[in-house]
Amino acid sequence: MRIVVCVKEVLDPDAVNSFAVAGRLAIGDDGKSITQSAIPRLMNGFDEQALEAALRLRDAGASASIAVVSIGSDPSNILRHAWALGADQIAHVPADPATLDGHASAAILAAWIRSTGGADLVLCGRQASDDDQGVVPALIGERLGMPVVTIARAVSLVGSDTVRVTRVTPDGDEGVEVSLPAVVTVSNEIGTPRYPTAARKLQARRARPEVATTVAIGLAAAELAPRIHLVRQLVPSVHGRCELLDGGPAAAAKALVERLARDGAL
Amino acid sequence: MSTVWVCSWGAGALARGVEETLSFGRRLATAAGAELGLLVLGATPPGAAELAGRYGAATLDAVPDPKLAPGRPDALVEALAQACRARAPRALLFPQSVEVRLVAPRLAGRLGAAVVMNAIDATVEGGKLRVTAAAYGGDTHAVYEVVGDGPAILGVSTMALRAEPVATPGTPAVQELSLELSPVEERIRTVEPAKAEGPRLEDAAVIVAGGRGLGAREHFALVEQLAAALGGMAGASRPLVDEGWVDASRQVGLTGRITRPALYVAVGISGASQHMAGCAAAKTIVAINKDPDAAIFKHARYGIVGDCHEIVPELIRAARERRAELEKES
Repeated sequence: MRIVVCVKEVLDPDAVNSFAVAGRLAIGDDGKSITQSAIPRLMNGFDEQALEAALRLRDAGASASIAVVSIGSDPSNILRHAWALGADQIAHVPADPATLDGHASAAILAAWIRSTGGADLVLCGRQASDDDQGVVPALIGERLGMPVVTIARAVSLVGSDTVRVTRVTPDGDEGVEVSLPAVVTVSNEIGTPRYPTAARKLQARRARPEVATTVAIGLAAAELAPRIHLVRQLVPSVHGRCELLDGGPAAAAKALVERLARDGAL
Repeated sequence: MSTVWVCSWGAGALARGVEETLSFGRRLATAAGAELGLLVLGATPPGAAELAGRYGAATLDAVPDPKLAPGRPDALVEALAQACRARAPRALLFPQSVEVRLVAPRLAGRLGAAVVMNAIDATVEGGKLRVTAAAYGGDTHAVYEVVGDGPAILGVSTMALRAEPVATPGTPAVQELSLELSPVEERIRTVEPAKAEGPRLEDAAVIVAGGRGLGAREHFALVEQLAAALGGMAGASRPLVDEGWVDASRQVGLTGRITRPALYVAVGISGASQHMAGCAAAKTIVAINKDPDAAIFKHARYGIVGDCHEIVPELIRAARERRAELEKES
């Protein structure tokens, strides 16, 4: 079977958050982009967990080829990382991320999948940690006519044509089955992704992603037209009015309970 | 006149957050010169029309097909697509939930329509719809402009919004929409239904949540004891779930439970936006953290700077004493 994992390069969300907490997160002159060069770029964490889910299927005995595809100006670093982890094929469709919305991204990914032999299982992260939109997997599913199962904490195969997914829901875990081909989105509950071996990491330096242009995969310009575009990004301000209670643990605890009782919060 | 539609389905009830979404929709409808309507999929729960009127909806469209229920995404997407083709609404608003995060973008794919999730505001500028959505877990806000015609599909983050009834409630025109759903078969088979394990964090009035600052797995007991002393539930930030210290059902935050308690006590939690997305709507936030510069203090009403292992036991004692006093009085 063929598993395709879709991955996105994002700004490290922890670094973005550190800048935000320190009140130093800045938007560039274009009014849209976070420009701090100190913020590293890396593979979206949920996408790495989607790749981990694919690798676990293979560990569990599935005879599967794993293809990893990304869009962007130059995602070679994250694709090499995917190769080091065990991907059989890494591919890059060049496109300017600033001009893409969820529809255009899904159009590219679906066209790449279709033009390279299709997929039995498409695995994606539940959402990207930059825009948090999480719409691309559902849009890929619609384009390819595949069912979409979201927020997996575990993925396994039942026979050769069915996938079983344990979904995280507000009411607890739910077990579902769906016939292949299907799209499954993976969440952090699947656990920490593996590290590449040192040898494979070294070899990965020489790995070159296949490059496929949007024209080569059969996309017309109209299919890349976004339905939404980003006009502005801003850093919201948080106005604190925190009353700090001190005088040592016992006194502060007592003062806190008194205030909460006074406010009617207890 | 074009319509801003708020969509709801549920098990015998309207969707959680439908009131906040109607308020959001009314502001947008006013800006767009459109009418506000409520679209109810599945059996219409009692009181739906009255509620719609309270929030200024002029219409209530009902599709009382038994196929339309939670856990039936294929039927929901098909019904919504047919309803949109029949009525051509200007915008379709969903109170965001785990299921909406699947159904709304699939519908957008089916219709080729614009879609924005995590919306916190929407307005019209120069005839174009502009939607503000939280990004980077809330560290930034992104403003998107919708291109072209066709319905704009928005998932609304209702936790950050307030429900605002109109001054003079109206009576919406109620009508049934008849759709053809008989060919739809769900492709996803539930083989092990979710078992709601006791009370949910989403419903808790008091939550005490622990974070990395607890330092060790066994210290989570402090959080549980304080929660018990305050008559609430224990929660956690994502690192504790990732470490396997606590079950994922306890995770508060962007990718966990989105809560709205009266009181939220954050113990050893730094206050990253991804976490705050799950608790910022709490009425009162209390922060206990050893780092006086932690972001959590910006969100908190009360804070104690210090070692949570010293403070929390004192807090448990003070809360228990307070309870004992109250019981004596009554």
